Amino acid sequence: MASTLEPAPRPHRPHPHLDQMKRTWYFFRRNTLALVGLGIIVTIALVALYSAFLPLPWTSVPAWCATDYGPADTLSGYPGNYTQVCPTTGPIICTYEVHPPPNAADFCGGQWYPDVVRSNISFPSIIAPTFSLSPFSPGPMPLGGLTEASGQRTPIYDIVGSLERGSDWSLMFSVSIVGLGATIGLLVGAVAGFYGGYLDEGLMRVCDVFFSIPTILFVIVVVAVLAIDIPVSGSDGPEIRIVSMILGFTIVWWPFYARIVRGQVLTVREQKYVEAARASGAGRRRILFRHIIPNSVYPIFIQFSLDVGTIPLLIGSLVFLGFGSLLFPSQPFPEWGAISAASVFDLQGDFLNSCYTPATGCVIPYWQLVIPGFALFLFAISVNLLSDGIRDALDPRLRR
Amino acid sequence: MITYVARRALLIPPVVIGVVTITFVLFTALPVQYQLNAHFGTPTSKQHCGYEPTCECEELNPTSVRGNTCTCLSPPVQTTKNGVCTNPVYNEYVDKLGLQRPLIVQWAQYVFNAFTFQWGNVSNHSTVAATYPQLEAQPVATAIAWELPYTLELAGLSLAIILAVAIPLGNASAVNRNRPVDQASRVMSFSGYALPAFLLGSFLVAGMVLLFLPHTGFLVKTPWCRGGEPLDEEFTYSIPQAQACYPNLAFGASYPSWVQNGIQSTPTGFVTIDALIAGNPWLALDTVIRILLPALVIAYGAIAGILRFVRNSMLEVMNLDFVRTARAKGVPESIVTKRHAGRNSLNVTITVLGLTFAGFLGGFPVIEDVFRLNGIGEMLAIAADPMPGLDYGVIFGSTILFTFLIVSANLIVDVLYAYLDPRVRLG
Repeated sequence: MASTLEPAPRPHRPHPHLDQMKRTWYFFRRNTLALVGLGIIVTIALVALYSAFLPLPWTSVPAWCATDYGPADTLSGYPGNYTQVCPTTGPIICTYEVHPPPNAADFCGGQWYPDVVRSNISFPSIIAPTFSLSPFSPGPMPLGGLTEASGQRTPIYDIVGSLERGSDWSLMFSVSIVGLGATIGLLVGAVAGFYGGYLDEGLMRVCDVFFSIPTILFVIVVVAVLAIDIPVSGSDGPEIRIVSMILGFTIVWWPFYARIVRGQVLTVREQKYVEAARASGAGRRRILFRHIIPNSVYPIFIQFSLDVGTIPLLIGSLVFLGFGSLLFPSQPFPEWGAISAASVFDLQGDFLNSCYTPATGCVIPYWQLVIPGFALFLFAISVNLLSDGIRDALDPRLRR
Repeated sequence: MITYVARRALLIPPVVIGVVTITFVLFTALPVQYQLNAHFGTPTSKQHCGYEPTCECEELNPTSVRGNTCTCLSPPVQTTKNGVCTNPVYNEYVDKLGLQRPLIVQWAQYVFNAFTFQWGNVSNHSTVAATYPQLEAQPVATAIAWELPYTLELAGLSLAIILAVAIPLGNASAVNRNRPVDQASRVMSFSGYALPAFLLGSFLVAGMVLLFLPHTGFLVKTPWCRGGEPLDEEFTYSIPQAQACYPNLAFGASYPSWVQNGIQSTPTGFVTIDALIAGNPWLALDTVIRILLPALVIAYGAIAGILRFVRNSMLEVMNLDFVRTARAKGVPESIVTKRHAGRNSLNVTITVLGLTFAGFLGGFPVIEDVFRLNGIGEMLAIAADPMPGLDYGVIFGSTILFTFLIVSANLIVDVLYAYLDPRVRLG
């Protein structure tokens, strides 16, 4: 008798956050395009995970090697004449007038060491050795196939292999730049929006300042200034160049996020639950970090996933403009944007010039454009699809 | 309204000073000889050792009793030991630039220079001077003034294309939500977003050269450009011919007569307008055709972002009450979308377009490089060519210029926005 009076056992309910995630996943799963995007991203991430264990794409040589290749115009052991050309102003980047441009790292104490192999020429890879696009082009895919025709030796460059090798760099650059920018922007925007007043006004003016800096230009300037006396290759050069590039991008990247978050915080802080939290005696910091920030991260999350796809394109643009040697320690650096830019760069001159006379029959190594371009395209598109899927799943108004 | 504009305009100087301060910090971090080179430009022939602090020996004199002394040629002639002379010019110019003064004074001087268009000089050590010898030793501001109209023409044409495509397409995809039009515009938006401009541009240049030039003679056959020689039946052409017709297509440079120095167009600076003034409409048309393809590439990339905004703001407005009221009154659907919803969704669109145009003013280094066009972006791209040496004068000068442009474009957008939406200026 007593048992009938007891309340019926409550149905098991998972933790509310878990419940929310399950519901989101349910709506996300129904979106085929988003699933495709997720699949591609996961594949890229797995390849990146593999390639992260491969050796670094620059030769690590003792520091004295990089600085000691000296002003000599003929170095013993190197076949052929060449002169070393050093800039009179600007960063100290020496190049050689003869093809192939010998890697500076190969010269130690005026001696050429061809056995210090440039590790960026061929990368150990899973699929590259057996992979050839035989229906389209027999044999390996050369970078600069046409320069070979004009009598200059060029390195054979494995495009697919280096795309694979560069996946971890691309992901690393994208996630670290956008992640750093988003974190700074989130904090600044949330503080500005929540506290308001002069703090808000001041922070937003600082934001305006950084907003007014042209992105590509600023990155160039930062790298050029920070890496000015650092040799192209050596023990500590590469890291400083790469870090200063990330730094330069981050400095111009965070204001976008600060603005987005501030706008969101301004609406969130007027919500009833914030008022309830305040009424129940929560401190300002607790309200900011437990109530306001978690509820204003969604737009930032979407912007984040959109921007991640843009970074390789921007880096590619920088490399295309000729800053490859400034940004990266080895040429061409295995980063997706850099690879595709290097391919285009390489094609531009020789391929166009040789095609002006149709009689000789010009070969267009179109795959140099198509394959890296397709990889970039796939990456950006899948990130885009993924972010759209997540937004649709999270926003109840778009679910129908 | 005037109060709003004044209040908004008052915020400009602090922002510009802020950016100039960041530029100053980076400029100060440069080695002194680079700073001198950026500010004073090409050393004169008198300055034997340029702006270097020390000078290599010109002549070693081992006969001296006191050991190796060397004669330095840089004036005034002096002799030192050690084989290295101090460069007297260096100290003179350090004094001239005021690098010996306290940092705060230097900063004030830098800000003053920035506001008075004293942005340094083009140096002869950079690719800029090698590519455009006529720019060597010119003030950076002059070089920019010559190059800016080219970029403005390109930006204007791109903006026209964007206006013509993005707003109708965005509205159409909002009206026909989830129908084929919407899906198509979505695909277009995606692909424009994911395709880097340098790839698309190179594809187009390659395609144009390969498909049109050799086989159809499409470009060469145009009546206003025959390259000075009659073409034979097979439309084969020589590089000089093509060069004469299409200087922008990776050939080299040849310019109409009214373009002085290959850069400075007279009298207005805008090549198209100058062609009309010179009474040559064909060449004006030719100029527009040359920048049509790059403008299309730029517009394609920009439309990707703008379409979303147009579509979203249109969707939002279409769910508002006054639209429902209009429909309930029996207003035809086309008028509802055009007048009621369309005009009200324009606010956001104009903001985004304004910001896009502000971004355009930063130049198109990639596009201008791909299509070999004149312009700020191209100058910047060659100024930052690391090989012979970066032209820090041009780089820092253009940073300051872009800041001015972006800040004033933001102001115009804000004013327009306030004009269109009274809630903004009153709130």
